[in-house]
Amino acid sequence: MRKAPPSGPHTRKGGVRLSRSASFYFVLPAVLIFGVFILYPMFMAFSYAFFEWHGTARGAFHGIGNFITLFTREPYKTDVPRAFSHNILIFGAEMILQNTIGLGIAYALHNLKRGKRFFQTLYTLPYLVSSIVIGYLWTLMLSSTFGPVNRLLEIIGLDKFALPWLGDPRTAIWVLILVVTWQWIGFPVLLYGAALGGVPADLEEAASIDGANRRQRFFAVTLPLIMPAVTTVSVLGFIGAMEAFALPYALGGSTGSPAGSTDVLSLVFYRVAFESGDSNGTGISSALATLLFIFIFGASVLATGIMRRREENRT
Amino acid sequence: MKRSRLVAGAVLLATLAPTLYTTSAHADTETTLNVWSWRPEDASAYKDIFAVYEAAHPNIKVNFQTYVATQYPQILTTGLTGKNGPDIVQTQAYGRLQPFVLGGNLVPLNGKVSGLSNIATANLGGSSGHIDGKIYGVPFATQTIQMFYNKDIFAKYNLSVPKTWANFIKNNDTLKKAGVIPMSVGAKDTFLLPLISEAFTSAVYGGPAFERDVLSGNKTFEDPLYVKAISTFADMKEYMPDNVVGVSYSDSQTLFISERAAMFPGGSFELGFFQAQNPNLKIGTFQIPPPPGSASKTGLTPTYVDGSWSLNAKSTNQAAALNLLRWMASQQFGQLFSNKLSQMSPIRGVTFINPLLAQMAANAKRYPAPYLLIADFRWAAPTGTDIMAPGLQKLFLGTTNPAQLATALQTGISTWFKPKK
Repeated sequence: MRKAPPSGPHTRKGGVRLSRSASFYFVLPAVLIFGVFILYPMFMAFSYAFFEWHGTARGAFHGIGNFITLFTREPYKTDVPRAFSHNILIFGAEMILQNTIGLGIAYALHNLKRGKRFFQTLYTLPYLVSSIVIGYLWTLMLSSTFGPVNRLLEIIGLDKFALPWLGDPRTAIWVLILVVTWQWIGFPVLLYGAALGGVPADLEEAASIDGANRRQRFFAVTLPLIMPAVTTVSVLGFIGAMEAFALPYALGGSTGSPAGSTDVLSLVFYRVAFESGDSNGTGISSALATLLFIFIFGASVLATGIMRRREENRT
Repeated sequence: MKRSRLVAGAVLLATLAPTLYTTSAHADTETTLNVWSWRPEDASAYKDIFAVYEAAHPNIKVNFQTYVATQYPQILTTGLTGKNGPDIVQTQAYGRLQPFVLGGNLVPLNGKVSGLSNIATANLGGSSGHIDGKIYGVPFATQTIQMFYNKDIFAKYNLSVPKTWANFIKNNDTLKKAGVIPMSVGAKDTFLLPLISEAFTSAVYGGPAFERDVLSGNKTFEDPLYVKAISTFADMKEYMPDNVVGVSYSDSQTLFISERAAMFPGGSFELGFFQAQNPNLKIGTFQIPPPPGSASKTGLTPTYVDGSWSLNAKSTNQAAALNLLRWMASQQFGQLFSNKLSQMSPIRGVTFINPLLAQMAANAKRYPAPYLLIADFRWAAPTGTDIMAPGLQKLFLGTTNPAQLATALQTGISTWFKPKK
């Protein structure tokens, strides 16, 4: 006969029950790290935005002067809206591509009998590699002078498609979007894969018995049940698109080359803070960072709230 | 047993004692100076250079640390504002130096480094505070802007160094006809475009004479000669690689090093890299002759200060760091720097053993010109180079024209630049 697990005031389901103070000590390191590396710099940047700076020395209180500068003075009043429109474009395209291709791949893998793990790993590999490395690799691949992509197109007779991919404003932003999608596609594949695995098989069976075809089963049964994963992918995709820095930097440099066609807000921040030579660069860039944070945080909270409410209404 | 352990312990202690003593004595007297640079490619040469100083100063150890150039600005900001930062730092010149000057992060060197008197005043301008005029760094290199060419390719097509604009264009046409890229330019990366353009434009707008006029307000960048200068550079697109806006800076270097391109307009800092990458490359240099109607009758060699060595105000080794900085302003350091890195030290008395370096320096001395946008229009945002870099790219893309670009430049700098009438 199996011996029953010890029970008492300090145990729970066979484990050790922690006192309140012990729990506090377990959480403390994470809180400290979060506080020092996330909260503190965030509040500092927030406070920097309200002062005028003389190089690295803080000057007088400037109110919302730095925020006004962002929208009234060149080059900021041109660069900021342009970069913002690119962030939004990246997010929109990502939403469509990740939620369709990602879900499609996850659905295909879900129904796969063999090799599921192998393909999941394969799709996940690019996002385990640094974005800077990915960016430089694609820059080499797409180089109009030495790149293998154009060489291959020429060999197979598609010369007219051998374009200066990263040298033409009409193609550069789409290359950026496709590379971002390629790198991050493994993430929605994993999330959707897990969500699909959680859909009870008997519901699909019941729908099937009721005469629903494959398409109807997917849209009427599966999709509503994996909506929380869609919310997660969309919100994280939004945050990623608004914060994008490493890939745009590696593909188009700090100026969002060519001619600002791949410029994003983080690049504008970088230029203002470290390259502009503006003695008040710290104040203006902090104002931009503050606005960006408020927008990302506000929109994410709002979107999550709306989508969760819709999910609750459905269920 | 206990006694034997005691004896063994005593013996061990006695054996280690001299070592412990030596270590602590060593630690007491040795000072390590941390020197930061944005040139990882120069690390080995600098280690050799500082070894000379260390040999003469046994108590000083120079720890030369390099960071990738693109990350250096933010690393430097953190290093200079925080504790335990570096002692001596490589700082960019002109406008990029000012945030650190205004922030009080650097020590003014006037009266502290005697070697500064051995550096031309014009070269100290890039290392000085724009407002207080004090010197905040020892300039380490001056760069000149000109055309490099491949001697073997020129010989193969019977081309000579052009003395006139017509010769220059004829050379380009011959090379293009033969299927050789006449001149290698990468316009995908914008940061060097203003510099490259200066190789063509300086003589057209008139170099130092135009500088005086534009600073005094007698002329603006919308002057017909400046528009013509931009136009001259734009017209060179046909001699550059196809889809030049898709060609990166490193691709443009590779085209020249691999002898697929015959010429390369650029800064003297390229020379060491070219020669290291392809020691068999027979390189020559020349000033581009001015086209008809230019302000200058001869070609000009624009020159600028690349950067300085500055002293961190928070360094805990002020005296030792200042001594090292004094040595870095000496002829011995300048000569070592020039020999090891094929760069032009601005220190008087330094001779250039590299004949090409000597030729470029001689041109700069005989036909001097400022790199106008760096020397005079990089003091506030938007800087001249920040406007021209993407502007020149747009010029190649056909989305702007020379007159519009000149107007954009004038409008941009007018937000902060006031001429001294």
